[in-house]
Amino acid sequence: MEMKRLRREPLLAIAIVAIIAITGFFVLWPILKVVSYSHMEDYLKLFTNSRWSRAALNSLFITAISTFSCTLVAFAFSYTITRLNVPFKGLFKFITILPIVSPPFIVALSYILLFGRQGMISKHVLHMNFDIYGWQGLWMVQTITFFPYAFAVIHGVMKSISSNLEYAAYNLGGTHWQVFKKVFFPLCRPGVAGGALIAAMNVLADFGNPIIIAGNFNVLPTEAYMQMTGLFDLRSATVLSTALLVPALGLFLWNRFWVGKRSYVTVTGKETSLEHYPLPRAVKWGLFSFCMFVTLFILAVYGVLFYGAFTTTWGYDWSFTLKNMHYVTDKGREIYNSLKFAIFSSVAAGLLSLPLAYIVQKKRVGINRMLDFLAILPGAIPGVFLGLGFALAFNKEPFLLTGTSLIMVLALMFWNLPTCYSASLAGLQQIGGALEEASQNLGAGSVTTFRKIVLPLLSGPFMTGIVTSFLRSITCLSVIIFIYSAKTSVGTISILSLVQDGAWGSASAFTVVLISIAFAALIVMKLLLRKDGKSIEL
Amino acid sequence: MFKKTSSRFVSVMTAVMLMAVMVVSGCGAKNDGPTNAASESPSQSAVETASPEPTPSASASPESNKLVVYAALNEDDIIQLSKKFKEDTGIEIEYLRLGNAGEASTRILAEKANPQADIFVGGSVEFYEPLGKEGILENYVSPNAKDLDAQFNDPNGFWQGWYMGVLGIVLNTERFEKELAPKGVKEPTTWDDLLDANYKDLFITSNPATAGGGYIFVADQLFRLGEDKGWDYLKKLNENVHHYTKAAGDGINLTATGEFVIGMSWAHDIVKSAKQGYPIKVIIPKQTAFEIGGVGIVKGGGNTENAKKFVDWLLTKPVGEMNTQMSNRYSVRKDVAPPEGMIKIEDVDLVAYDRTKAAEMKPATVEKFTQLPAK
Repeated sequence: MEMKRLRREPLLAIAIVAIIAITGFFVLWPILKVVSYSHMEDYLKLFTNSRWSRAALNSLFITAISTFSCTLVAFAFSYTITRLNVPFKGLFKFITILPIVSPPFIVALSYILLFGRQGMISKHVLHMNFDIYGWQGLWMVQTITFFPYAFAVIHGVMKSISSNLEYAAYNLGGTHWQVFKKVFFPLCRPGVAGGALIAAMNVLADFGNPIIIAGNFNVLPTEAYMQMTGLFDLRSATVLSTALLVPALGLFLWNRFWVGKRSYVTVTGKETSLEHYPLPRAVKWGLFSFCMFVTLFILAVYGVLFYGAFTTTWGYDWSFTLKNMHYVTDKGREIYNSLKFAIFSSVAAGLLSLPLAYIVQKKRVGINRMLDFLAILPGAIPGVFLGLGFALAFNKEPFLLTGTSLIMVLALMFWNLPTCYSASLAGLQQIGGALEEASQNLGAGSVTTFRKIVLPLLSGPFMTGIVTSFLRSITCLSVIIFIYSAKTSVGTISILSLVQDGAWGSASAFTVVLISIAFAALIVMKLLLRKDGKSIEL
Repeated sequence: MFKKTSSRFVSVMTAVMLMAVMVVSGCGAKNDGPTNAASESPSQSAVETASPEPTPSASASPESNKLVVYAALNEDDIIQLSKKFKEDTGIEIEYLRLGNAGEASTRILAEKANPQADIFVGGSVEFYEPLGKEGILENYVSPNAKDLDAQFNDPNGFWQGWYMGVLGIVLNTERFEKELAPKGVKEPTTWDDLLDANYKDLFITSNPATAGGGYIFVADQLFRLGEDKGWDYLKKLNENVHHYTKAAGDGINLTATGEFVIGMSWAHDIVKSAKQGYPIKVIIPKQTAFEIGGVGIVKGGGNTENAKKFVDWLLTKPVGEMNTQMSNRYSVRKDVAPPEGMIKIEDVDLVAYDRTKAAEMKPATVEKFTQLPAK
């Protein structure tokens, strides 16, 4: 039956083959290159080397707790923004963008300045002596850094859930809790699971934050990164990176299992303009306070960063200066490169993710799971690993890409694929099959149905995916650290250089400039879309 | 209705694509052509206008006028070196600044099949040894090397030493005066002084498993005190260590901003932070260890003749002086004055550091170190 269908729609078959070929070439091959770099006895060291097994356990632990907190915060923010009538919603939304547009390790620096042993808040306001160097500090920083990724997905889904069903449930006499548990939450599940997965994969692969704040708490990515950079041990590095794929795979399966095979259709083509059902005051203001607290916390972190950009000696002499900004003016090429690679890679990832998500969700062609796996896989591998894979896979004729802009764009594109794909998929899961069936009954083929019915309904999540990818790319460090060249260096590389050179003031200044550029780009996109009566959900 | 939304959506997408194309083409994105390099980057064009005359010597030779350098140096250092090299030889340096020697050497290894760099410069010579053994480095002995002490020249000719760095103690003077001096604690002058229980949880150093400087420090103690006493020392010091950072330089800023009172790192990096205005000072303790900073030529890089010129140039006295001024590192040349704010290298009490033995015992030492009570 499947084959018959493919024969009837050759375009669909061609699309599937092309997608598998492209994704396989740029995702599987680099991975295989890295995995096959080491031998069996290297892998056995994972169990015999206590330092490595501890790092593996630490990774699992921090991923579990950070993912939980990221998802929780993201859920609270999404729920407050979409379902409650409270002030400062705009601010709450704004706050979810900040961590995405800044390189993560910068957040850790601010956090030390605020909550460290000499911290502005911990010592001078609270008169307490926290020890933030360890899993606790890492947990906090990762929650701040990565909840926005979960938020983007959860919010996208929650927003598209019509309140008709909730009203129906209330009318049938359901309590708030019953409606939440039995009606609302099940509808959110794909979003929550997708959001949690994105958050988990980011946490699992994160190395910028642990290096700065985790103290003696080693995790797999820092071990892998340090094996490469400190110990000159490519084989151990590839082993440790490969070890990360196992929990990532576990996460992936858990996600599929938990979401299950239920249907979560709410977009029916019918409009709804009902006000959201009022909630008890305690719940409403409790959630509001929680969001406000997180918001203030993040504002403090970024406030310090902005302030630090204009001070004479970071963290010590707080007098105003513009000297840090001078460095930035010499770095036009890096900023230009950042923008260029981010735009190309995110648009490309978005364009690839659309047909991919569509085929996976709507076309039962027997290889859905494999396609799905291919699409989400880049998110499961640490950026450093992916970059290294690209460096190893594309440094020989006929695939000689080392040192070019193309390799940067391709690596970022496939790194962004899961973000765009998850957004598109979450959006698709909300669209009922009836609309498409109607279209096909009227004689439209897959392609026409996709273009005329699915695409317009998807534009919100699609653009969200692209913009999130764009911002991620501008601030990405891990993926490109092994493939950038003298000509293709970018802003985050400069920032890392400055942090490593101990010039934290200049690093802050550069970050401020990068954040401003990212925001400017975001505003341009919003204005472009607003003219068309749409909005980006971020 | 759907048709309308669809066309809108398509128009937005077109706008996005157009924007992307505009950004790229508008600024002259043909990244691969050297002719466009000037329009691409303000900083690069500034470099070019700094020495406008096309040097006749370079244009006369059939060799290329280019040199690709992987630099495990501070960004400012490699910028200045590039400018000066162009001034002196007319050869244009295209540099890639890497965080440390490990990163640089891993990258060179990964690019083995298709070398992108001509020169690997900066970082301890230990990182050059394995590359030499892999056959990735060119064998070259500079004529200028004869002026130097034998320890700075690789007997196999794969690397060349051109600077020296020594390990030092970084002390936050503000916190020290406020918190420790009243208790009668004296400023440390030896590594042994770090065992003072008053430094408990106030001391920060780097992990020998991951940081080159961290390992040299551990080896320093083993050479200084002998195997058994050395380990006793490390165990006792472990009591005072708050945590081990991944890179040698990480502890400096944490001490500078007052998170910790005292730390161990490279003296030249400490001086650099102190010059930014932080309340820290560098102490070079007795029996300290040192690193030799290297330079090597990558085989098959494509500009090998220029690379040789670079190595010769790096060993000259003016360049040695320039490096000393900008990076606070010692030159390997005896006729170059020590960096400002540092004592003469002859006055530094150096440990008898056996580089070969240090390299041999590294795996076992690091393994044993990780068995120290968890910190």
